[in-house]
Amino acid sequence: MSAVAESPSAPPPAARNPGPSWGYRFIRLLDRVLPEFLFRPLRAAGTWVSLALMPAQRRHSRAYLHTIFGREPRLIEVFRHFFAFEEALMVKLRAANGRIPRTVLAPGSEHFKTFVNSGRHAFLGTFHVGHSDLLGFLLGPVENHRVFMVRQRVGNSHDTDRLGSLFGQWIRFIWVNEPENLLFALKDAVASGGSVAMKCDRLEFSAKTEAFEFLGARRLFPFTIYHLAQIFDLPVLLTLGVPGAPGETLIYSSPRWEPDRSVSRAENLRRAHAHFQDFLRELEAHLRRNPYLWFNFLELNPPANVAPADAAPPPRPQQSGR
Amino acid sequence: MTDPLVDRLKSLIVEALKLEGVTPQEIADDEPLIGAGLNLDSIDALELVVRLEKEFGIKISNSEESRSALASIQSLAAFVRERADPARLPS
Repeated sequence: MSAVAESPSAPPPAARNPGPSWGYRFIRLLDRVLPEFLFRPLRAAGTWVSLALMPAQRRHSRAYLHTIFGREPRLIEVFRHFFAFEEALMVKLRAANGRIPRTVLAPGSEHFKTFVNSGRHAFLGTFHVGHSDLLGFLLGPVENHRVFMVRQRVGNSHDTDRLGSLFGQWIRFIWVNEPENLLFALKDAVASGGSVAMKCDRLEFSAKTEAFEFLGARRLFPFTIYHLAQIFDLPVLLTLGVPGAPGETLIYSSPRWEPDRSVSRAENLRRAHAHFQDFLRELEAHLRRNPYLWFNFLELNPPANVAPADAAPPPRPQQSGR
Repeated sequence: MTDPLVDRLKSLIVEALKLEGVTPQEIADDEPLIGAGLNLDSIDALELVVRLEKEFGIKISNSEESRSALASIQSLAAFVRERADPARLPS
């Protein structure tokens, strides 16, 4: 999930993941009653079924894996991609049932803990990668840090609802599919004191995009987070959560980017661009080591010369230094 | 005779949103600010709302208010005039 809808009056798209509402409950039940050595092969079998029944996601997985491998992926590799996603969902589901993974800061990311413990708030950007989805949920109970999560409401969000109720004291959701409320929800969130967490890889709902080097091309990414940070004078930290040792999530954080009042807006955005690009390089390095952690089963961010259908800005007066 | 509040709002829009190649005088009083006309996006609208709240001490608290306030310069001026402390309005 990226950012902010283009127009306050744009109609919300249809909810994704309209799976059966009992699906997550059934998985939870199996998780409780079956030993892992039986349950894991069952999950793998379920993943093969998903693979067969989800042609669009399969196609996007193939296209992404082709880009990262530089060759046509084998079916087993597409399965591994799907299975990695399924396993990340299991981690989230288990966290929703109180089995919270241990979080460990990667070397060089210790400043992240220092920042969240400082009492300051920020815009926290993350990606649909590995365990990143859990980070916002864990900041509250682990670090006593209040987070407003900008998320897309999907058709079957049992895991998110469970996590939300479990950590309700620390977490509030801002639904990006309700664009009419989004703008004011963001403003109120900042005013009431809390960090705002948003995904920075999907172009849907993103008002501001920019081109970055990623996976061998200049690709469009949402850039709204830095515009919001400038408006509200808050820092930006980009984070990633990847599987570490069993039961462990390894957290990587970018250095803090902070709007600097003493320089122009254009200079601030130039620095912001470099900040995001640096972290994308780190993300790409992770993906080259473990390609299956990329959980966008959607079209890969398009090259910069191809305007995305739902993020193309309409003609407008040119803005300088923005 | 020009309305000082309307003039100030036009300047504030150009200044806050760094509209290049647009002068305050070029913005028509009835020009739509969002969607057509100036074609501001949601982030621009947010920035404008934050600036208006700071400058005039008003509160725009929901999307309906924002939509009607930002419909045009005329409607924005009427909204600000109705809500702001008269001492903060340009004379």
